[in-house]
Parts: sequence; C-alpha cells; structure tokens
Amino acid sequence: MTRSALTAFLISACASAQVSFEDISKGPSENWLTYAGSYPGWRYSPLKQITPANAKLMSPKWVYRVPDARGLRMSPLVYKGVMYITNTNAVYALDARSGRLVWQYRDARAKGGGVNRGAAILGDRVYFTSSDNYLTALDRQSGALIFSRQFADVEKGTTSTSAPLIVKDKVIVGSAGGDGGMRGFIAALSAANGDEIWRTWTVPAKGEPGSETWSGFAEWGGGATWLSGTFDRETNTLYWTTGNPWPDFAGTPRLGDNLYTCSLLALDLDTGKWKWHFQFTPHDTHDWDAQSWPILLDMEFRGRMRKVVLHANRNGFFYVLDRITGEFLRGTPLIDKVTWASGIDDKGRPVLIPGKDPTPEGNWVCPSVKGATNWMGQSYNPTTGLLYVLTLEQCGMYNSSSQEPVPMKNFAGGGATEEGGQVLLRAIDPKTAKRAWEYPMTGAGRMWTGTVSTAGGVVFTGDDDGQMLALDAKTGKLLWHFNMSETLTASPITYAVDGKQYVAIASATAIFSFGLFEPAEPLTPPKVTFGK
Amino acid sequence: MRFGAIFLIALPIAAQHGRYVSESQHPAIGDPKAIAEGAKLYATSCTGCHGPDGSGGRGPNLVKRSLWHPLRDEAIYNAIRNGVPGTDMPPTKLPEDQTWNLVAFLHALIGPASDNSVPGDAGAGEQVFWGTKAGCSNCHSIRGKGGRMGPDLTNIGGSSPLAVIKESVLEPSKDLMFLGNEGATVTLKSGKTMKGIARNRDNYSLQLIDEKGELHLLSMSDVKELKILDHSPMPGDYRQRLSQDELRDLLAYLSRQVARPRGTIRKANN
Repeated sequence: MTRSALTAFLISACASAQVSFEDISKGPSENWLTYAGSYPGWRYSPLKQITPANAKLMSPKWVYRVPDARGLRMSPLVYKGVMYITNTNAVYALDARSGRLVWQYRDARAKGGGVNRGAAILGDRVYFTSSDNYLTALDRQSGALIFSRQFADVEKGTTSTSAPLIVKDKVIVGSAGGDGGMRGFIAALSAANGDEIWRTWTVPAKGEPGSETWSGFAEWGGGATWLSGTFDRETNTLYWTTGNPWPDFAGTPRLGDNLYTCSLLALDLDTGKWKWHFQFTPHDTHDWDAQSWPILLDMEFRGRMRKVVLHANRNGFFYVLDRITGEFLRGTPLIDKVTWASGIDDKGRPVLIPGKDPTPEGNWVCPSVKGATNWMGQSYNPTTGLLYVLTLEQCGMYNSSSQEPVPMKNFAGGGATEEGGQVLLRAIDPKTAKRAWEYPMTGAGRMWTGTVSTAGGVVFTGDDDGQMLALDAKTGKLLWHFNMSETLTASPITYAVDGKQYVAIASATAIFSFGLFEPAEPLTPPKVTFGK
Repeated sequence: MRFGAIFLIALPIAAQHGRYVSESQHPAIGDPKAIAEGAKLYATSCTGCHGPDGSGGRGPNLVKRSLWHPLRDEAIYNAIRNGVPGTDMPPTKLPEDQTWNLVAFLHALIGPASDNSVPGDAGAGEQVFWGTKAGCSNCHSIRGKGGRMGPDLTNIGGSSPLAVIKESVLEPSKDLMFLGNEGATVTLKSGKTMKGIARNRDNYSLQLIDEKGELHLLSMSDVKELKILDHSPMPGDYRQRLSQDELRDLLAYLSRQVARPRGTIRKANN
C-alpha cells in the first residue's frame, strides 16, 4: 500500500469511529475531546514532538477567520483530524491539517449574543449551547441537526456561555447572567435527546438550607455557573464553581454569606445531589466569581497522600481542599498584593481587613474586579509537577451606588475600575504553593488566555500583548513567540494529525494552528474537470 | 388538509426568512381571514406581473428578491398604495383594509413555510420522503436520520418559503450555487476511486462526504483526478417521478420541518 493510499484508508477508517466516555476519560492524545482536555482539568497533553530544543522552529500552519467573530473565548476540540470550534450561536468543523471548512451550523433563530466557550463531543455528535439556552446536537461529520432543546428561560435572566461537559450519557450544562440578576443552576441533560435528568440550584429557595444567609434578593442572587467543571471518575463526582452574588457591588441588600455563591460544589453525577460545598468568598462585594478550574490531583500533602482539588481563585488566594470531604487544607496568596484579607484562617475563611467594601466615593482594593486569575485554562503538568496559572497583579477602584437594584437591567450595585497592573504566568508547586518560576508580560491587563502544557516539556500560552508563546515548562524560559496582533481571550490546545503535532488557539477573530516548520513540498494540483 | 390557496395559521413566529425583518403590529398580519382575502386580491390583480406563486415574470420575483435591503410590511403597503415610481408598478386604489389583506398574504408567501398552512397531507408526504420512490432520505437527513450527502432538512420549513422549497425539489440546478454541495468523483494516485459530495475544496485539500456518508479529509497531493458535476447532484426528475399529489404532500411534510418547535421549555425553569 502506498503512503497516500494508506493515508486515505486511515482517515476513512477513522471517520466512522465514535467518541466514547472511555476515550474522553483517557485524556488528550492526538485528539482533544473536552474543553479542559481531561476530566481532572489538567490541560496536559502526552504529545512530545515539540520540545524545548525544537520549539524555535515553530511556525503558523493555517489560519481560519471565524465569520462575525469579535472576541473569541472558545477552546477547540479535535477528533480524528477534524477540529470543532464555536462562536456565538454557531459551530464550525475544520480540517485540522489545513484549516479548511468542512461544515458550519449557525442558529439564526437564537436570541441574544454573548460569548461561547466551546463544544462537547460524544458518539457521532457535537454538542453546544446557544445564548438563549438551547442544547443543540449536530452530526459530527455533516453538521446536520439532531435535536435542539431549550433548558432554561432567557426571560429569567439566564444565558449560556460555557462549553458543555459530557460525562457518560449526560451533558452537563451551566448558567450565565449572574451580573444582571438570575438564579444559577447546573443541569444534567440526556445526551440522547436533551431531556432533563436533574437540575441543582446554586442559590437556595426560601426556607431551604442556606437561605438564612440572604437578607434579600436570593431569588435573583446569581451564583451563575458559566465555566465547565471537572469530574472524578473514581467517586463519580462533579466539581463545579459558582459565580458572584447579585447585586455585585451592593452588599447591604443581601446581608449574610450568600450561599452558595463564589463557591466550589461537589455533586453526585447520577443525581446532582450535594456532597459538599466550600465557599471561597463569603458575602462577596467585589465580583470575584469562583470561576477558575477545580483541578483534581492526588498528591502528597503534609506527609501523606491526599486526593485534593486545587483552586487558584479570583479573590487572590490559592486553595487546596480535600476533594472527598471538602476539608480545607491550605490557602495561600496567589499574587503579591492582596489588600482585602490578611490571609485565610484554618477553617478556610478569609481574615477580612475592615473597610474594603465598595463605597460611594470609591475604595481602592487589590486584586481588581478582574481578579488575581480568572476562567482562563490552567495547566497541571505531571512531568514537572507544576501548575501553570495566569495571574494578574492589578488593583482597582470599587464604587457603590444608592440606586435601587433592578433585576435583569444589568445594574450591579456600583462599579469597578481596572487600572494598570501586570499579567504574569506563574508556575506553582501545588505541594508547597511556592513559585518555581514566573514569566512577566507587557500589556494592559486585558488578556484571558490560558495554557496547555505537554510531555514534551513545553507550556503554550498567549501573552497580554497578543503574542503566542512557547515556554520551557521546567524553567519558564521563552522558546518562541508569534505576534497574533489581537487581544487574546481563549486557551490553547494541542493535537496531532498524521503524526504531526499542532498547537491551536483562537485570537479575537480567528483560529491559528502552529507546528514545526517544514519546507513546502512542490504540489501540482490534480486535473479537475467539470461535466455530467 | 387540502386548500386551494395558501393561507396562514396563527402566526406566533415572525417571518424570519432572510431579508424579511419586520414584525408588523397590524392585526391583518397572520390573520387567516385577511390572508385568504389577500390571496384572492393577489390572484386577480398581481399574478399578471409577479406570477401566481410570487416567482415573478414581467415584475420582480417577490419570494427570491434580488435586492438585499430589509423588507417591512409597511414598505410593501406603501409600494401597493403608491406604486414604485419609475417602474411599471402602478399605484392602486385599494382601500386601506384591503391593502393590508394583500400585505398579509405577501407576508405569508415570503415568510418561512412553517408559518403557513401549506396544502397537502404531511403524513403522506412523510412516507414519500422516507420511501424508495423519491429516495430523499438517501441523501438528506431530518433530526439525525437519513443520508449525509445532501443538505440537512431538519429546519427547511423554518428557514425557507414554500416557493423556494418547491423550486429546490423541482429545479435543483436552477441557481447553480453548489458550493459545499458539489457532486465529486475522486481518483487517488493509489488507484482508489471515491464518489460523493465535496463539502469544500481548494488546490491543496478536499473535504469529501462519500456515498455512505463518511467524511474523508484528503490532501490534493494524493489526488490524481477530480471530476466535478456541472449540475446539482440532486435528481432533476421529481416532476416525473412523483405524482402531483405526492409532490404536494412531500412539500407539506417539508414545510413542517422546524428545528425549534415552540413550547419546549420545561416547567423546571420557573
């Protein structure tokens, strides 16, 4: 069999394959099958063609300009040589070797705009959610519509932005809109037909446990779930974070801890029932959603092996919790300048510094509203034992308003500024919370780019000035950069086709795919004829 | 249900076909009685220039308009009342209510087929679609069933006016817009031959869905020869292949295919 015939056969054989739960459980390979790469949320790939020694030879392989895109936040999926990307209310399937479009699906009837963070894949189907809360399943090869079912009412302030997480036969979806007043939830829908299997609300209804932590506004209290979660197969547990309480900057109308906002929830996959919760920021008044990846890890902690969940939080602290019990193990500063709390006490509660709430004239607090980190993808690399986190050293002015909060009018009870500051990629040893290295960036503190790291020993990320970077995972040494010339607000992935490793990332308006430089081979286009 | 004239059932969905952007508040819009009255007026006063189904003649095609400016009910109303200066379209002397009846009919004609009570037996049409005589489902899919070669028809009624669906069935090659749906036969350098639909291609790569519905991502460096059909791969003989009743029923079935049926939201969200 010639090479070309073999290639054609292989691609043909692959095309009829189906994505299984087992495939997703194995984590990245040549494929990238779920937003964070793997259920524990590592964004780590075993690919090792690109190394610190050869990363200097990286070059762009193709660019796909996404129609109507303005600020892409999506992380691509790749299966058997096809890349699936999303924009608002749209999915595109691309030939992952060439960037050529295979099919597109654009939902012209979807109401509203907003961002979309990506798709999910299972069997022969690609899933995504629309901004008006429809879960849509498409045929993986043709883009044909299989079903489109609404799971939440946009009239209640809820929209959808996150990539669904598929576990076994369930599509887990979240809820967005917490800055305008809504009630957050996580729901499990049937992958077969979109039927609802369970729904767990993140803010208690009147009379339910936790409702005593709200003096008012619980029915619009937020706790949105706008980032995908992670999953522990061994214990059948979902880990999902919740967003800010509403109104964001006005604490007085909602006195109390405002459970279960700014929290991490551990839920049973089959029933959605609560196993435990941990609230990072009780009674948040700075819009510090807990949306950052709950990374699952088995590691030695104070002399014994523990099953932990790591959480680098927007509020400025880096947490380690026991993921079986929810027990707080450690909370340490993630960034250098935190002025609202002097630390975390031994129960996991912040030790507040008085007078840091928003005020009518403005209150200068660190970190800024954007947070010490945010939803951008972090990476844990088992070969270096390091966690790679984009952090922001930035402070801001927090203002309160005396205006009556009105749900769904996007009134947030005040406002906040983001001023100056610097983004630094930090490599943290989760065992000690010490920094192994850091890579300071230039820029205006506007990026939302995450990371992916590899067995080849490279961390890929974007910087705060629109550059794609490759860094040595052990030392943080810059290996290669490429000017994409747009503010980067998405996280990279890595994949392989025909034995060649690629690294893909969305800029504001396009998908770029990079690989090692290869001289162009002369190609004589084949004879093309038109006729009957 | 068999009706002599197209008319509209209650109109919960605003017409969203392409360029028809307005949601008029006028009570005639969506009112079956007004539409039936409008149909009569259209048959007597407008078909001479615009054709019995709005597909044009001496006057422009009203369904597949060549101009891309947004169209509103009020603009149609004004064109009927005042005519279009500099063209053969004369001002009419119709009273206001009758003019609105005519606008309501045109709104229905231009809007998605699913907004209309299209004549025919959709149940019988379903049999035609999935049966061997028409063979539609060999290439087209609806809700995940059927072939992958042709365009997915899950939302065809929700996205296209009846006249457009009809033309696509009867004259698939009329528009010569096959990009993404080109019939292709590929001969690889290995000697292997594949037939299917080129979903995309350039001088360097080819994305092909074969007759079994499998996707192939090919490099043109592996391709020896590529033959592209100069017409739509869809058969052009449905006028002969199907009886008039079968055709009407098939159109009724297709017209009811909507991706997002109303009322699917669950109670749990409240």
